[in-house]
Amino acid sequence: MEIIKTKKENELCIVLQGRLDTTTAPQLEAELELEGITALVLDFSELSYISSAGLRVLLATQKVMNKQGEMLLRGVNEDIMEVFDITGFSDILTIE
Amino acid sequence: MKHSLENNILTLFPEGRIDSGNAEKTEAEINSVIAENPSENLILDVEALQYLSSAGLRVVLRLRKKFSGMKIINASPEVYDIFDMTGFTEMIQIEKAYRRLSVEGCEVIGQGANGKVYRLDPDTIIKVYLNPDALPDIHRERELARKAFVLGIPTAIPYDVVKVGQGYGSVFELLNAKSFAKLIIADTANVDKCVEMSVELLKKIHSTEVKPGDMPDMKEVALNWASFLGDYLPREDFEKLYALIDAVPHCDNMLHGDYHIKNVMLQNGEVLLIDMDTLCVGDPVFEFASVWLAYQGYSSLDHEVVKGFLGIPYEVTTKIWNDTLRLYFGTDDEEVLRSYEDKAKVIGYTRMMRRTIRRKGFETEEGRALIEHCKASLAALLPEIDSLSFNK
Repeated sequence: MEIIKTKKENELCIVLQGRLDTTTAPQLEAELELEGITALVLDFSELSYISSAGLRVLLATQKVMNKQGEMLLRGVNEDIMEVFDITGFSDILTIE
Repeated sequence: MKHSLENNILTLFPEGRIDSGNAEKTEAEINSVIAENPSENLILDVEALQYLSSAGLRVVLRLRKKFSGMKIINASPEVYDIFDMTGFTEMIQIEKAYRRLSVEGCEVIGQGANGKVYRLDPDTIIKVYLNPDALPDIHRERELARKAFVLGIPTAIPYDVVKVGQGYGSVFELLNAKSFAKLIIADTANVDKCVEMSVELLKKIHSTEVKPGDMPDMKEVALNWASFLGDYLPREDFEKLYALIDAVPHCDNMLHGDYHIKNVMLQNGEVLLIDMDTLCVGDPVFEFASVWLAYQGYSSLDHEVVKGFLGIPYEVTTKIWNDTLRLYFGTDDEEVLRSYEDKAKVIGYTRMMRRTIRRKGFETEEGRALIEHCKASLAALLPEIDSLSFNK
């Protein structure tokens, strides 16, 4: 998985490419430096797959962002949207 | 038109297309079936329906006026789309047809009493149930897993329910994980690390608050076990037992319900939980009762039982049980730990005695011995205990 980060003051945008699974979820976790971030955008338009390990990182990140700002998911494809729907994550996450 | 009437519910099976060409005729046909079969509710099983136009939708709309609780089931993706785009899915309960899957040629990776587990592709497995009536249980387990997942309990993603032959299957994410039981069998030196991680996860589960009503209340289940023993225990023991369980304070925190080293897995250093069909809420004493049963209770009279069940000798599971207590409660004080163990045992013996009787235990020698052992143990424990809750 490729992770492309752009930071502008308190805004962090992260583009994910490839698969967010057991192997790559820790990689994303390590890259998420959220201190002082009030707006987080995760761009999923080039993400092809998400596993439960990936969902757990999103859940933990959402919890952090609930306290300090907002988190937005962008470009979620149909397959991943279905995973969000069946797991109930679409009720927790803000998906554009 | 094909139809069936059961439990005061009329089910109709429309076929083919309903459009402006045949809507009027179809509606007349439906109305005559309804007139001949008075019922309280209506289900449209649209498995064989391929298409419906706006004229067809108007027929459905008029049916809904007659049966405000009507339901549509088995909608193909195309038919479901029509209902969805026109907003019908928001006013009528419409269920999609189950996707059909074949497991032919798929590798079998597990086999249990209820069915087989196959690997579907590198990311998913499918649990296929032998019993075609398993559908309500499948949905129950998936709903529990889903609730736990959103609450942050690490488990596999339950994907969809599918039809496999005449039965049903539940598709899950494939976990590339090893159970703690397997890790310990491979090397007993892993015991300490496994217990440590499993206690950590257990604490996380027990600190997770569940929305009231979302999961069954273990206290009610335990009261049912106790009630069952009314005919088999001395009056005094039974009354004390029932009162003790009844006095356990209500608690909305999550319990796994079947927590042992076969249901806890390790994947890439992360601990995961499986078998979510027993999730419930309640005081942790109920959890410890089932943990004790798994590691010790069921093997009370025959230490080989646990070897068959977990693949690990009784001495090792005894160590796991004691270390679990010690770590969970954060104390080495033997007196305190034994008092907690006794509370768990009271509920454990209650459950085991009922289970053994219900499984026709009185008909075998081993069964009778186990029932007698539970009865005697309860008689010894009950006078010594004045509260079962750990939380006070």
